[in-house]
Amino acid sequence: MASDAAEPVLRAEGLSKRFGGVVASDGIDFGLRRGEMRCVIGPNGAGKSTFFALLCGILPPDAGRVFLKGRDVTHLPAFRRVRMGLGLTFQTNRAFHALTVAENLETARRASARSDADDAHFRAAYAAFDLAASARRPARELPHHQLQWLEICMALRRGPDVLLLDEPTAGMSPGETMFTADVLKTLSRDGLALIVVEHDVAFVRKVAETVTVLHQGAVFAEGPVEAVTRREDVRQIYLGRAREPAT
Amino acid sequence: MLPELTSVLYQFGTNAAFLLLSALGLIVILGMMNIINLAHGEFMMLGAYAASFAVHRGIPFPLAIIAAFFATGLFGIVLERLVIRRFYGRELGALVTTWGISLILAQGALLLFGPYMPPIPIPGGAVSVGVYSFSVYWLILIGICVVLVAGLTLVYRATPFGLQARATMQNPTIARSLGIRTGRIYMLTFGLGAGLAGLSGALLAPTTSIAPYMGQQFVAPAFITVVVGGGANVIAGAVGSSTFLSLIETPVSLALGTFYGTMALLVMALLIIRVLPAGISSLGARLRPAIAR
Amino acid sequence: MMRLLRLLNGPHDLGQGRAFWSGMALLAAAFLAYPAIASSFAASNVAYYLLNIPMALGLSLLWGYGGVLSFGQVAFYGIAGYTYGIVAGNFQDFAWGTAAGAVAALLAAGLSAAAFGYFVFYARVAAWIVPILTLVLALLLSTFLGLTAGYQWRVGGIQLGGYNGMTGIPALQIGGVTFQDYAFFYLVAVVVAACYIALRVWVNAHRGQVLMAIREDVLRTELLGYDVRLEQLRAFVLASVLAGVSGLLYVQWGNYITPSAIGLQQAALPVIWVAVGGRDSLLAVAISTFLLNQLSYVLSSSGNQSALVIVGGLLVAVMMFAPEGIIVGLGRARWLRALAPWRSAVGPGRPGHGE
Repeated sequence: MASDAAEPVLRAEGLSKRFGGVVASDGIDFGLRRGEMRCVIGPNGAGKSTFFALLCGILPPDAGRVFLKGRDVTHLPAFRRVRMGLGLTFQTNRAFHALTVAENLETARRASARSDADDAHFRAAYAAFDLAASARRPARELPHHQLQWLEICMALRRGPDVLLLDEPTAGMSPGETMFTADVLKTLSRDGLALIVVEHDVAFVRKVAETVTVLHQGAVFAEGPVEAVTRREDVRQIYLGRAREPAT
Repeated sequence: MLPELTSVLYQFGTNAAFLLLSALGLIVILGMMNIINLAHGEFMMLGAYAASFAVHRGIPFPLAIIAAFFATGLFGIVLERLVIRRFYGRELGALVTTWGISLILAQGALLLFGPYMPPIPIPGGAVSVGVYSFSVYWLILIGICVVLVAGLTLVYRATPFGLQARATMQNPTIARSLGIRTGRIYMLTFGLGAGLAGLSGALLAPTTSIAPYMGQQFVAPAFITVVVGGGANVIAGAVGSSTFLSLIETPVSLALGTFYGTMALLVMALLIIRVLPAGISSLGARLRPAIAR
Repeated sequence: MMRLLRLLNGPHDLGQGRAFWSGMALLAAAFLAYPAIASSFAASNVAYYLLNIPMALGLSLLWGYGGVLSFGQVAFYGIAGYTYGIVAGNFQDFAWGTAAGAVAALLAAGLSAAAFGYFVFYARVAAWIVPILTLVLALLLSTFLGLTAGYQWRVGGIQLGGYNGMTGIPALQIGGVTFQDYAFFYLVAVVVAACYIALRVWVNAHRGQVLMAIREDVLRTELLGYDVRLEQLRAFVLASVLAGVSGLLYVQWGNYITPSAIGLQQAALPVIWVAVGGRDSLLAVAISTFLLNQLSYVLSSSGNQSALVIVGGLLVAVMMFAPEGIIVGLGRARWLRALAPWRSAVGPGRPGHGE
């Protein structure tokens, strides 16, 4: 079974962040277990991107802590967290356009001196996305969805324990979106922990076991995907009416 | 005791004034457009040249200074239209290009006007306290700095231009969508920055020799002041940085000489950027939420 | 070995393939044959045009490939020159004295760059701060050296000399060979060729990829697990050691060095050579450095004072109208490639990178 009841592989306690007068994150508690697939959803402005940036280490929190595999990484710069086993992709595609596909992956592979990387997840994704055919092409020549897939493979290259994906299917066709969902689901079944920040409800329903709903910087609801997405108050926040979670 | 204290205060004040005057035009441009104008020293030189030209044609010095402000400001506007505005979003490109311009201006001045312009005699006399004598002109300069800062604050806070400028600084895209002509704001800001540089050059002209490469003596202090101040808040950065740096520079200069004072500035800048990579003016952004609670 | 050759022929510079490398070999042969037909004076001039190339290559690496602009490479040029003068001068009675001077010069350049670079790159400052602070470094160094006229300003037995600088710097001697005149010319030619080849291999290898990745997207590179600060520092030290190589060759050329070699106008020159040639191509930069140095010499020796104005104007014109560089522009122009049989990969350089 993919989830076990052991210590969460990624955990956040009371994460808070303000920008001037705006509360972007308000005391978020979060935990992700090994092999769990969690989607983080919420209306625009809910604070999903800030939360993502806080977890990666791009932004320092005003309060709260982040734990990766049990270690407090709150004060570690982003690249150290990545070396410890975090993989990320961005909302806007950030593969290196000047380099070829192979060079992009090679750059990802050689990020640190560690040589005992477990690249099983990478090899599975690479094969599934069929990127070998484009290995020598400069990334800028790839169509958009393949660039997204390349980014996912780059994030997987060093065998991370946790993969954080920020809207990985943005701009993809429905067919490509579902295919990506299938690949991610397979990786999750093989033990990878995944957090996906997403808008696409169909994707979320297909892929997630549990969802976390963010609203106004705080965790509004959390639980199994079907139960949470059917809740009336969750639907209301997307329409701008609900303010408090229904108990 | 009093003469010594007065002397130290005087040194502190003149050092701070020098830094502020050297850096003000640069910070105005940086704060708005995130561009460092490497021709800044040459703009100061142009201002000094304009003032010398005017003074030696019989124009009283105060008027010559105002003329220098407008002449350099106009030159800045022309330069912005022709060259600078191609580089918005490409800061390093702007930096390199303004460097080329600075070479052209300095060497061009040498070729056109020769190695020296007639100097401007320093106005006012001296005032004595105890065994120390203080230049009245420098005291006036300190006063002018206060007036300049007050004037700039007034412009940014109380004029339509100032409001539009602050909006553009914060978010040019939204400013544009509100109908603000950001291109015109950039042009006027660059002109203002150039004019302030020319003004400073004219003000400082009596204290130094007026030569094509005179801008060089202001470059290091100006740049250090800008790095320490940052661009987040133009006036706070300029005032905070020049005050803070003068606090460091004055004792070192008094003890070891002016060069070591400037060296201490560089060391200070290297240390400050470790703690405040975006400069002193970014402290405001950090403190405000704490105050807002 | 095969791997090195493959890297040498890699895509991240102008020109690949047999025709290209045959042409380069011919060029090298021409330079090596030059002393046979040229006077000592002419050879010395050509050596001068060549010796600034390592510094320019270093800046190209740092700025063109890495996206980090430094206006202060001349500072390390000067540090190396002065250090050689001091060490070689103090130990010139020993057989290994001048060689020790050369090693000391490069070490001094590298270590000072590491110290300065640590403060700058580990602070993660905005991009425009690096050129400003490096410029200030060069300015302050040149001012400092200008103040050292007094007798007390000496190291060992060697005077720093203030504005007049250090003279009588001994020529490098290794084994029985003293590198003067023609011997010096060969030294410069070989050193420049070696630097070019080594750097070309470097930019096509992994470290070069990382540098280009940083240039394109700092955050992405960081979030792949790279310590961006360290990579930038590494490139900065390498570029500064290369500047030191040029400085070392310079004091061999003239046997003197003055603070004006580090001053404001000098600081601009490497940036101009690199920008005009095309900062993201080592070859373009080598060519433009050679030609622009030649141009400056020709202008100034004919009494023309406007060398700096012309060169400044050239810089502005290139930045405005041909920002990728003149030689790079030519190298990638399709019509030119139709004429000449060299392949040129569409490389990483486009306006917008490192800007």
